[in-house]
Amino acid sequence: MAQVERAGPALEVEDLRAWYQTRYFGVEREVRAVDGIDLRIQANEIYGLAGESSCGKTTLIKTIAGLVQPPLNLLSGSVRFRFRERELDMHRARKSEVSSVRWKHLSYIMQGSMSALNPVRRVRSSFIDFAFRHLARSKAEFDDLVIRHLDRLHLEPSVLDAFPHELSGGMRQRVAIALATVCRPEFIIADEPTTALDVVVQKRVLGLIREIQREMGSSLLFVTHDMAVHANLTDRLGIMYAGRLVEEGPTEAVFREPLHPYTSHLIDSLPRIGDSKSKQGLGGAPPNLADPPAGCRFHPRCPLAIDRCRVEQPAFVEAAPNRRVACFVVNPEAG
Amino acid sequence: MFGTLRDLIRYNRSFAVGLALIGFILVIAASSFFSPYDPRDVYLHPPDIPPSLAYPLGTTSRGQDMFWQLSFAIRNTLAFGLAVAILSRILSLTIGLMAGYLGGRTDRVLMSINDTFIVIPLFPILVLFYFVLREQMNWMLLALIMACLGWAYDARLIRSITMSLRTREFTEQSVFSGMSTRQIVTQEHLPYVMPVVFSTAMNNINWSIGLEVTLSVLGFTNIDTPTIGVMLYWANQHAAMVAGIWWWILFPVALVVLTFIGFFLLSISMNEYIDPRSRLRRMGGNG
Repeated sequence: MAQVERAGPALEVEDLRAWYQTRYFGVEREVRAVDGIDLRIQANEIYGLAGESSCGKTTLIKTIAGLVQPPLNLLSGSVRFRFRERELDMHRARKSEVSSVRWKHLSYIMQGSMSALNPVRRVRSSFIDFAFRHLARSKAEFDDLVIRHLDRLHLEPSVLDAFPHELSGGMRQRVAIALATVCRPEFIIADEPTTALDVVVQKRVLGLIREIQREMGSSLLFVTHDMAVHANLTDRLGIMYAGRLVEEGPTEAVFREPLHPYTSHLIDSLPRIGDSKSKQGLGGAPPNLADPPAGCRFHPRCPLAIDRCRVEQPAFVEAAPNRRVACFVVNPEAG
Repeated sequence: MFGTLRDLIRYNRSFAVGLALIGFILVIAASSFFSPYDPRDVYLHPPDIPPSLAYPLGTTSRGQDMFWQLSFAIRNTLAFGLAVAILSRILSLTIGLMAGYLGGRTDRVLMSINDTFIVIPLFPILVLFYFVLREQMNWMLLALIMACLGWAYDARLIRSITMSLRTREFTEQSVFSGMSTRQIVTQEHLPYVMPVVFSTAMNNINWSIGLEVTLSVLGFTNIDTPTIGVMLYWANQHAAMVAGIWWWILFPVALVVLTFIGFFLLSISMNEYIDPRSRLRRMGGNG
């Protein structure tokens, strides 16, 4: 496929702040799930997003996908997609514009995509509901296209006439991926699409995702807390902690030489063949995002914390070529 | 669909019995179309004849053949029950799906109306309607009024199902794929609540027939249209109990009781069939 030269990154997120704001009987609560995120994803790139549970990964990609609903509110920042034909500012564009882009140019593999299929409808109906409108094909052509696409994911055409409960977990997962990629979107967001699968099926599904991404030349934003998956799949990796990005760089470089102390801990937690000493866990739990600690949000758990970390918040800036990190110890100029 | 029906008949005794009873009632109701008489004509036959070969169910004190009269009555009663069920299903589906899916303020407004309808006493209101409308009162109008009063419980049930569906991934995915609210509710959620609607419809038919009989026996409906209740009303008017015309009371009561039992059996067997636990066991696992 001829690649049209694009003017810039496929996705540009600037200073994104999305908080859960609730108010019950006059008590206001703010959960700062996404608090000042900057990131760029190039065309044809697999960007991985890692971080432990409840650090705001899902909220971030929901905000990127434009699924912001109260109590989640967008406070500041912008999300700009650059597709082949047009640009789109997700939170400022008109509703009709956003929905015309969805599924066709931008698709989303949901967290727990095992249940992304309606349990009382056949798989074929889901394909028709989600994708038919976006493709502008006749019914026969559409059927043909879907069957060919399923074949690419090693699924029989007979799954179309099955109900979701008649399929195995791995098959359902592949159906969900087929559903999200059938329109050949330029940008795919995947939220933990393989977490519920065993490692054998997981490996195959990851291979398929990669294959499809390569073939279509799409960009992929891949979210999982599983560092092993990131090592296998992604080109670039962003590490999230407590609603902020703390480190970003090419996946290989991040694994070879992690800069942020939190990243080192995440990578150290991976078992290696021949490793004989027991794993050291990181003490404590991620902070409560309704009341995050002052300064660097990682300082209460950080073994390298200095006085400055407790009061001042490190900026997320370039510390080495293509590497960004938010830490005073690694990069004293981060102020 | 037909496979399901066959399995239900084969493996569920109460469904088979319920279906047979309703089938029997339907045959009697259908026979009214072949009746040689107009149901409103009176004194066509000698009055007060007990069940015999010429008149298998006897005749009334008004000179009507019990069998044909009964066939008209049960037809009207069934039609009334169905009309109420269908109208109130439309109301409860629309309101339940809207409140459950849209949530927030819409939900609060609709549910406070809903709860009002649940707590108001129905019978006095229906009697009041009769006294206000009197001459204009016919069974269609009564069905409409009952439908407007009888949707509330099931709307709440449907709302609760929709609320849980709204938070599932497939709904989120439908929203993301750009489906409109109407499409999501009618294409994704409606098939899910349909079995529940069928099961509650049976109960609703029973409820409306019961109320209609009560109102008619007391004469609070249009007494020219023969229904089971109206038949009993005329039997009372002619003091059938005192005069020993037992067949005028027994046959309508027996027929309506059979209808109740039939619908009730259908309702509980369908309830059992759509119950999540039995669904899981049928699918054979942790579906």
